[in-house]
Amino acid sequence: MARVPIVLDFTVHQGPFTLEVHQRFEAQAVALFGPSGAGKTTVLDSIAGLRRPSVGVIEVGGHVLFDSERHLDLRPHARHVGYVPQDVALFPHMSVRKNIFYGIGRGVSPSLDTVLRLLEISPLLDRRITGLSGGERQRVAIARALMSGPNLLLLDEPLAAVEQSLRERILPYIECVRDELKIPLIYVSHSLDEVRRIADRLLTIEEGWVVESTTGHPRLAEGRVLR
Amino acid sequence: MNPELIRVVMFSVGMATLATVVMLPPGIALAWVLARRPFPGRTAVETLVSLPLVLPPVATGLILLRLFGRLGPVGRWLDRLGIEVVFTWKAVVLAMAIMGLPLLVRAARSGFEQIDRRYEQIAATLGARPARVFLTISLPLASRAVMAGAVLGFSRALGEFGATVMIAGTLPGTRTLSTSIYAYTQTGQDAAATVLLAAAVVVAVAAVVVSNRLSSAGHGDR
Amino acid sequence: MVACRTVLFVTILAVLSCGPGDTVSNEVSPVVVSVAVSLSGALRKAADEFERATDVTVVLNAGGSDTLATQLLAGARVDLFFSADTRQMDRVVAGGRVVTKTRVDLLSNQLVVVSHIDRVGKVSGVTDLGSSQVRRIAIGDPDSVPAGVYAREFLESVGIWDAVRSKVVPTRNVRAALAAVEAGNADVGFVYRTDVTLADRVGITFVIPVDQGPQIRYVAAVTSDAPHEAAARQLLQFLRSGRARRIFEEAGFIALPGTPP
Repeated sequence: MARVPIVLDFTVHQGPFTLEVHQRFEAQAVALFGPSGAGKTTVLDSIAGLRRPSVGVIEVGGHVLFDSERHLDLRPHARHVGYVPQDVALFPHMSVRKNIFYGIGRGVSPSLDTVLRLLEISPLLDRRITGLSGGERQRVAIARALMSGPNLLLLDEPLAAVEQSLRERILPYIECVRDELKIPLIYVSHSLDEVRRIADRLLTIEEGWVVESTTGHPRLAEGRVLR
Repeated sequence: MNPELIRVVMFSVGMATLATVVMLPPGIALAWVLARRPFPGRTAVETLVSLPLVLPPVATGLILLRLFGRLGPVGRWLDRLGIEVVFTWKAVVLAMAIMGLPLLVRAARSGFEQIDRRYEQIAATLGARPARVFLTISLPLASRAVMAGAVLGFSRALGEFGATVMIAGTLPGTRTLSTSIYAYTQTGQDAAATVLLAAAVVVAVAAVVVSNRLSSAGHGDR
Repeated sequence: MVACRTVLFVTILAVLSCGPGDTVSNEVSPVVVSVAVSLSGALRKAADEFERATDVTVVLNAGGSDTLATQLLAGARVDLFFSADTRQMDRVVAGGRVVTKTRVDLLSNQLVVVSHIDRVGKVSGVTDLGSSQVRRIAIGDPDSVPAGVYAREFLESVGIWDAVRSKVVPTRNVRAALAAVEAGNADVGFVYRTDVTLADRVGITFVIPVDQGPQIRYVAAVTSDAPHEAAARQLLQFLRSGRARRIFEEAGFIALPGTPP
C-alpha cells in the first residue's frame, strides 16, 4: 500500500473563525471527521487551492503546493489535486463522457478502462447528466477526478447525498479506488462507519483545530470520543 | 416597394447585425469582469458602460462626433491613417454598437453572476487554466443570457436614431431604417415612411422569432 | 451551431451590401450638401437638374440645421452647407468652417397660420389669437426650431407675445406642430408656407404679410476644406440661377433677388 508524505501546516480563515491545521503524516487514506459547519470543506478547499490560507505550508508527496514564506501559491489547475465536492458539481451542459474526459491530459491518468471498470460506469458514458441517479453521479464525479491524473484525491462527504441503502453499494467503489489505483485520499465524513472502513488515519476538527485522533492498523482503534 | 427602400432595410439589418457582432467580444469581456471580483475603478467602468443608456442618444452622438470627427482626438489620428468614420457606414456601426453595448453587458453580467462558482472551481482543479474555464464552463453556462443580451443589443441597434443621425448623417450610403422614416415624415412622404415602418415591424418580429429559436436550441443541444 | 452560421451569413451579406457601390455612379466621388430638412425636397429637384446639366453627382445630408452645423464644426467632410437658420450659419462662420466670401442668402419664406381644414377662416387675424376661441397655439420650439423662433419674434414685434405665451405649445419640429393642429390638440399653428403641404387636413387660415413678418433667411455657403470646391461653387452658382429659383418657388419658397449669374 502506497503511503505518501503529506504536510498540512496552515492557518485559514472561515468566516469569523480561524482553522488551525498542523499535521504531518504518511498515509494512504486520511479521514477528516467533524460536525457540519466545523470547517471540513474549508480545509479541502485550501488543499485544492480554492482558498488561500493566511500562513503555512501544504505539501503532497514532496510537491509544495503552498508556502506563505516563499510566496508560493500554486493555482488550482497546477496542483494535481482531484476534488469530488459535496454537491458533486458535474458540468450540466456536458455529457457524462465529456465530464469524465475534461481533465485528461493534465497529469498521468490511470487507464480509462480501469477507471470505468472500477466504478462500473461504462453504460453511462453517453448519458446526459440530468438523468443520473445520486449514486451514478457520485461515481461519475469520482471518475472525472481520477482521469485528471491527481496525486491526491479529495472526497467531501461523498455518501451524504446518497440514500442509506445505496451507501453500502458505493463504499466498495471507493475502497477499490484506494486499493487498486493507489492514489492517496482525504475523505471527509461525519459517519464513523465510513471512516473506519476507508481511512488508516483519522483527523477531527475540534473548536477550530484539526487534531489527530489515532493512527492504527489495520483500521482505527477505538480511541478518543468523537463528537 | 421601390429599390431604395429595400436597400435601406437590407443596409439597416446588415449594419445592426455587424454592430451586434462587434459589440459581443467587449460586451462579454466587460460583463465577465464586472461579474467577478471587485477591482479598483469598477464603479467607474460600470458608470461608463451605462452612460449610453442614461444619456439622451443625441448627447451620446455628440460625444462620439467630438471624438471621431476629423478634428477630434481619435478622428484626427484615424485621418492620418486614411480612415474616415464620420458620415460613413462605420459611423452607423459605431453608433449602433455603442448604444446596444450596455444592454448586452447587463444581460450577460447577470448570466455570469448566476453561475454556480463551484463549476468553475472544479474545472480548475481538473487542470483547466482560467481561459479554458471561461470558454468551456462559464461562457456555455451563461450562453442563454448572453444570447438574450445580443438580441437586446441588436434590437437597440436597429432602432437607433439620435446618435446615428449625428455621426453618420443621412447620406444615401448611411441612411438607416430609423433615419429614413424620420426624413420621410419630415418631408411629407408618408407613403414611403409607412412602408419602412411596416418593414421595421417585420424585422422586429423576425428578431423575436430568431431569439426564441436560439434559446430553445441552446437548451436542446446540451 | 446553425445559429452562428446564420449570423455569419447575414453579416457577410451586410458588409457586401454596404460596399462602395452605393453613392458613386462615376469615378469622381459626389458633392455632399448638408441641407436643412425643410429644404431637402426642393433642393433634391434642383440638384437633379444640375446633375443632368453637368457631370457631377450630388448627394444630400439632410438634418436639423443645428445638427448639421455641429457636424461641420467637428470636421465632417461636406462641400456645401445650406441652412434654414442664420444662427447656425453664424456658428460655422465663427468656427472657420466655411468660406465667408461665398456666403449668400438664397431664399426666404413666409410665415402662415394654419388651422384644421374644417375651421379655416374662423381665426382670421393676429388679434383673434388673443381671443377665447383660440386656446392653444402650436409652434416649433422657440428655443431651437427656426420657424418657432421666427414665430415668437413676430408675435413679440406686434406686442401680443406676453398675452398669448401661455397658450403656446412648443413642438419638436414643424411636422409635430402640424400634427397637433390636425389632431385638434391645438387650434392654430405657426408654420412656413412651404410646410402646409406636409399635412392633409390643415389649411392656411391667415398669412403674415412678408413685409410685416420676420426676415426669414435660408443661407448657403461653400465649406472651407471642401473636397470638391470647384464643383461646390458651381452648384452654388446654379442655385442662384433662374432655373433653380423656379424650382424653389414652385415649392413655396421666396427666391431672393440677387445678382443673377
